[in-house]
Formats: sequence, C-alpha cells, structure tokens
Amino acid sequence: MRRVYLFFLSFLLISSSKSYLSWAEEVVVYVSEDQVFSEPILKDFEKETGIKVKPVYDTEEAKSTGVMNRLIAEKDNPQADVYWANEPIRAVVLKQKGISAAYFSPNAKDISAQFKDPEGYWTGFSARARVFIVSAEGAAPTSIHAYTDKKWKNKAVIANPLFGTTTSWIAALFTVWGDEKTKSFLDRIKLNEVKISTSNGESTTFVINKQFAFSLVDSDDATNAVRNGKGVRQIYPDQEAGGLGALILPNAAVLIKGGKNPENARKLMDYLFSPETERKLAFADCAQIPLHPGIQTPKDVKKIEEIRPMKVDYETVAKKLQEIQAYLKDWVGY
Amino acid sequence: MTKKGVLLLVVFIFIIVSFLPVLTLLIKSLFPNGNFSIENYVVLFQSSRTWILLRNSLSLAVVATVVTLFLGIPLGILFSKTNLPFKELFTLLFTIPFIIPSYMIAIGWFYALAPQGILTRILGTHVTEIMLHHFFGFPGAVLVMTSVLLPVVVILTMTYLGLVDPKLEEAARLSSGWILTLRKISLPIISPGIFLAGLLVFALTLGEFGVPSFLRYNVFPVEAFTQFSAFYNFGAATAATIPLGIIILLIVIVERYFLRKRTFELIKGTGKEEKITIELNQWKVSILIFVIVFAAIIVFIPLGSLISKSVSLVACRETFVRSMDSVLRSLVYSSIGATLLTLFGFFLGYLLERKVFHFAWAIDSMAFFLFALPGTVIGIGLISLWNNPATNFIYASAAVIILGYIAQYAALGERMMAATYAQIPTSMEEAAQITGVGWFRRLVGIVAPMAKRGLIATWLIGFLFCSKDLGSTMMIYPPGHDTLPVRIFTLMANSPEEIIAALCVLMLGIAFLPLCALGVIFKKSRVKS
Repeated sequence: MRRVYLFFLSFLLISSSKSYLSWAEEVVVYVSEDQVFSEPILKDFEKETGIKVKPVYDTEEAKSTGVMNRLIAEKDNPQADVYWANEPIRAVVLKQKGISAAYFSPNAKDISAQFKDPEGYWTGFSARARVFIVSAEGAAPTSIHAYTDKKWKNKAVIANPLFGTTTSWIAALFTVWGDEKTKSFLDRIKLNEVKISTSNGESTTFVINKQFAFSLVDSDDATNAVRNGKGVRQIYPDQEAGGLGALILPNAAVLIKGGKNPENARKLMDYLFSPETERKLAFADCAQIPLHPGIQTPKDVKKIEEIRPMKVDYETVAKKLQEIQAYLKDWVGY
Repeated sequence: MTKKGVLLLVVFIFIIVSFLPVLTLLIKSLFPNGNFSIENYVVLFQSSRTWILLRNSLSLAVVATVVTLFLGIPLGILFSKTNLPFKELFTLLFTIPFIIPSYMIAIGWFYALAPQGILTRILGTHVTEIMLHHFFGFPGAVLVMTSVLLPVVVILTMTYLGLVDPKLEEAARLSSGWILTLRKISLPIISPGIFLAGLLVFALTLGEFGVPSFLRYNVFPVEAFTQFSAFYNFGAATAATIPLGIIILLIVIVERYFLRKRTFELIKGTGKEEKITIELNQWKVSILIFVIVFAAIIVFIPLGSLISKSVSLVACRETFVRSMDSVLRSLVYSSIGATLLTLFGFFLGYLLERKVFHFAWAIDSMAFFLFALPGTVIGIGLISLWNNPATNFIYASAAVIILGYIAQYAALGERMMAATYAQIPTSMEEAAQITGVGWFRRLVGIVAPMAKRGLIATWLIGFLFCSKDLGSTMMIYPPGHDTLPVRIFTLMANSPEEIIAALCVLMLGIAFLPLCALGVIFKKSRVKS
C-alpha cells in the first residue's frame, strides 16, 4: 500500500514540477476550436516535432470565450504560449489588452492580408463562413434581409447574439452598415418574430426538424448536417454582384506575451499555418475553408476564391463588439 | 505538540486552503477597481434576470427535493425493513447514478430520446420528440437530479430506520398494522434524518452546475460560470453567487440548530438491537415488479443508452487513445484528494465529536457551507487567490485541483469521521491517558485502529466525490492536467456520440470499484453488529 502511495505521490510531484518548471520541449496552448477537431492536429504536431503539447480546451458552455477570459485573468502570470482562437475577434481583443506578442510566420505569407493582423499580433487560417442552413427542398432565402421579410415571419431562427459567432456577425454588420441601419435591422428582426436559440447547433437542429425554415449558422454546422443526410442544404448569403457577401471567420493563432516557451510557440504557429494543416481541417468533419490558395478541398467545402466575403476589418469589428455588449444584452433581454 | 496545538494547526490549514479563496473572491468583488464599491451588487439586485435565476434555482431545488423524498422514503423503507427479494442489489443499482458525474445521466437520457435511441424505438418518434422538447429545461433537470440524488434519501432512510429501537415498533404493532406503525412511530422518530436527507438534496441541487448547463436551464451556478467565462466579469460572477450563498447560509443554520443535535441523539441511543422485518406476503411480487420497472426508468434507460452507444470498436479504440492520460490523472488526483480529505476528516471529525474547542461548530458550519457552494464559485475563488507569480507553483500544478477537492468536500470527511468517533467510547482514551500515554500516541495507537473501517469508508467516499468533480476542476485545471470528467465535458462539442458514451462508461467503471468496496465494508459492519 505504501508503495502505491509513493507511486501516486511521485506522479503528482513530477507532473507538478514539470508544469511549473516548464521544460524546453513543451508548448502550452489554449484552444477555443472544438477539441474533437483541434486535438488531432496538436497530436500530429507532437508526433512530428517531439514537442509536448499541453492544451486547455474550451467548452460549449463557455461559448468559446472561456479560455480567452482565462488568458485575460492570467495577464500578469501567463501560463499559455499560444492561443488558438476559433475566430479572429477574440484575438484582436487580446491584442488590445496587451496580452499577445507579434509574430510573422513564414508559412502564412500566402494567406490574404485581409485575414492577418498587419502588425503580426494574430494570423488567420482555416475559416468558417456564416451561411444559411435551409431545407433541401422548397423556397430558400438568399440574403440576410430575409430575417426582416414578412414572407418569413415566425419562420426563422438565429443563435443568441450575446455569444460566439453571432455576436461577431452582428458587430460586423455594425461596422459595415453603421449603427442606425443595423439597429433598425435588429428591431425589424424582432418584429418579424425571429426565434433566438441557445447556439448554432440548436438552430441547425431546429431547421433539420423543420421547426423553422432557415437559420444563419457556421458553415461547419451546415456542412456536417448535409454530410449526415439530414435533408438540408447550405446557402452562402448575399453572393450577387455588389452584394454584402458572407462573413468569413478564420481561426486565428496568437503568440502570448511572456509565455515560457516562445520558440516552441512559434514552431506550433508555423505548423498551424501550413497548407497541410489547412488541408486536414478541410477534410475533417469541421469542413473548414483553407485560406491558402489552391489547396485541395472536399467537394462540399468551397474554396476561398469561390466565395464573396463580407468586407470587414476585424480590428474594427472587435472594437465594435465590445461597444455593443450592453446594447445586445438589452436587445436580448438578458 | 499538544492536542490543542495539532488541532489548531489543522484548523488553520483548513481555513487557508478552503475558506480563504471564497473570502478573497468576496473581497475582490467589493473592490472592482481597487476602490470599495457595491456596484456589482446594486446591478445584481436591480436586474430582473436575478429574480428569474432565483426563481429557477429555487423551483428546481424545491421540486427535485420533494420528488426525491416522495420516491426515496418508500424505497428506503422497502430496502431496510421488508423481505423484498434482491434488496441489496437494488440498493447498489439505485446508487450508481450518484457515483458518476450527474451530467452523464443527462447525456444518457438525451441518447435514449434521440431518433435512434432506446425510447424512440419503443415509444415512436412522435412521443419522444415531445419528450425531448420538454427534457431540455425544467422537467428534464428535475428528472435527472431526482435520479442522481435518490440514493441520498434511500440510504439515509435505511440508515436511520436501522437505528430505531425495535421495541417501540413492536409495541405499536400490538394494536395496529405496519402502515400505521411506520406512519406514527418509525417515520416521526427518523424525521430529523429525513429532513437532513431533504436538506442535502436541496443543497446539492442548488449548487449543481453540470445538469442545468447541459439542459440549458438557467440557474445561479451556470450564471456564475457564464459571467466569469463568457463575459470575464469577476465581480458579477461573485455577485451572482450571493443570493445562493444566503440560501446556503440559511440551510447551514437550519441544519445546525434544528437537526444536528437530534440526529446525533438518534445515532447514540440505539442501533444494536435485533431488527424486525415487514413481511410483504401477497404484495411481494407486485412490489418487486414495481421496483424493477422503476429501476428500469431511473437507472437502466440512461445507463443502458450510454452502454449500448459505446459498443463500437472504433469508439473503444478512440477512447483508449484519447483519454488514458486523463484516466490516470483522475485516479491519481482523486486518490491524493481522498487521502487528504480523510486526513482532514480524521482531525476535524475528532474536533467536532469530542468538542475540543468551543468554536468547533463554526468550523463544521464553514465546511458544510463550502460543500453546498457551487464548485464553479470555489473554482473562481481559487483562481483569485492563487493566480499570481508568487504562488504559481500551486496555480500551475495539480495542487490547485487538489485544493479544490479539499475546499469542496472537507465536510464529507469531517462528518463521516465524527460519526465514526461517536461509536468509539471515550473511556478507552481516558484509560490510556491515566497511564500517561500522550495524545498523539493515543490517537494513532487507539483511536485510529478502532476507526479503521470509518477511515476506509471516508477514503472511498472521498475518492468517489473527487473522481466525479466537475465544477471547480473545470474552472482551474492547469494545462495538461485535465481529468476524465473535464475531458468528457470539453469533448462534448461536436464529438461523435459513440466516443462520449464510451468515455462515460469508462467513468462509470472507475466509480464502480470504490462503490463495490464500500458495499463490502457496510456488509461486514452489519454482519459484525
């Protein structure tokens, strides 16, 4: 019995001291991308480089902002080396709060400037788009204005705009349309009796179950539902010439200022920005859109050059997102 | 070191480890920008959402408590006093939902109601669609919390009924039937025990995070987590727990002044006499069928769904590949947590039972308060206390998880050991003292061997609670230190259901071993007595 305890005690001591002393061959990464998709990539990195990855993953309940908030809490006592955000807005928030450091990865040079911070504080890769999920048959909307069209009254659903990618989408509208037009749009959404769901996943289920005609969700939710034969299809909104375009939300990797393993952090970031990682994420169930041009994708994943993106500056969107928190809480009645 | 010196040191360490994080949290919420302000609290009490959350939290706790008592007391009577066949097996069966993280029962129900689920195959899509609609929300939360906490009522009812003096029941039986005897004699005598069971169910439901979070039912623990994790509002997260803290304080007061004395009196007074059994006669078969059907609903449906979903080679392989590190960590951390809980219980239980200091009640109330507090709140407290460069050796290591276990579950060890010491006559210690044996030697040489069974039971119960902990571990686990319940929770977003189910079954396996060991201990105790 004593031996068993000695084993347990030494395990604890070794694991504690390892994490405290932060050995050279490790890298600590906080991840907002779903664990089921991000973990295989991190495991591959471990295998290929021999660098041990120590991750902290987000939960659905923390609305993919839990680890970002932990990074903020740990500003004066940083534990992470890299933050893998599932969208660039949170990465911009970290830049604004002085938590991230600049890094220009050679592997990201072919990624469009629109998806990178000009000062190198974050770099985008493998993206999702905000798309409509609609029934496989029958009429379907092609523009986000369908949310305010009486034809679709009480037939549309959208995820809670206080959390996740819906917040980013609304903040993006504020930056493109201005305050007045966006607020009027949101008021008309309410008048059109659009249902507010708890998440994009729930919105997808509602459309699959034909409880609602359409919803704006992330392209990975829609592609998965299509792949699983749920009787739905996805539509990129506002794709006509001169149209608003679909909001593209790339993953973003951020180097954390004061992290204990900066060299390994850079190696991990280079790995994430590589065309091979983008290819893997396109073929995985998350069906993400590669940002490097010319990367092979499955048939149901559009190439970035085939999409008309919403023209946004993510830095401005992030600022707006923080400004409109109180307004959104009020709008939702939180 | 003297007796008082050792016990004071233990109390001091307990306060630093357990209470200081919560105190730090409270202080920080009152100094949001370095200056004193009650703004967080003003905002909280002015918001209509607070009252909605209060209504949700209280209605869930009240309804779950009433339903659990309504179902648990008759089951406790059946398993304790009647000749119902397989009653030991049923007791074990109904205990299973309690030993795994409660949100897993919710996952099991969700799978059962899904289009390919067990219930859908039996009842049809139309019925289960309606059930699924209601499952996400208040009815589902009540169902799951009742299944999970039912064993608390069943086991406490069984325990306290076993302590009722059979002579009283025999006397009553001379003039009335069993139903009247139970109603007028046995149940009134054990009413403090039943009230304690109700209070525990109420407190545990009030502090529950996993189930309401999974079922999207907004209550205070979920709000505290969201305020901290989604909005990073330390002040609001703390403020969100204040109404809950007030309710928990009231529970502590009720428990202290109305229950503890009476429940301890019951334990001290009786328990050794030969028990009498209620013969079920012609009712035996129908009651047996009823219990089997009930067990099928409460236990087999959710667990069966998880097990059937996990039967896949790919899922098993993936589970093994993805989670062996987490399994090992869960085993090691829970073992260390259980050992420290037993150690604290050994001293604090002694302090409480032997009334070494006048303030023993305060330590006990503090421990019970922390036990009832949501794990998410304790987690935020631990972050606010230990997250700085000077204490990084704790914050960045598994030690912070272990501290969370101690803060949350110290009351278990303390109460279990106090109950154990109550069975050990003080005369043994006094005799040794007269011959000049020092306190520490008396404790190690006399008390500890006599309390051996209680110590093992405390360790096993501690292990069970630590191994299924989610609330505080979720908030604080350092990079690379995720435990199995945390891993399952973070993997749930978009992971294949087979893998989640296989992980849940693995968790069940981890929890089942100590449960069986506990069963053996209690059986031996009964045979011995």
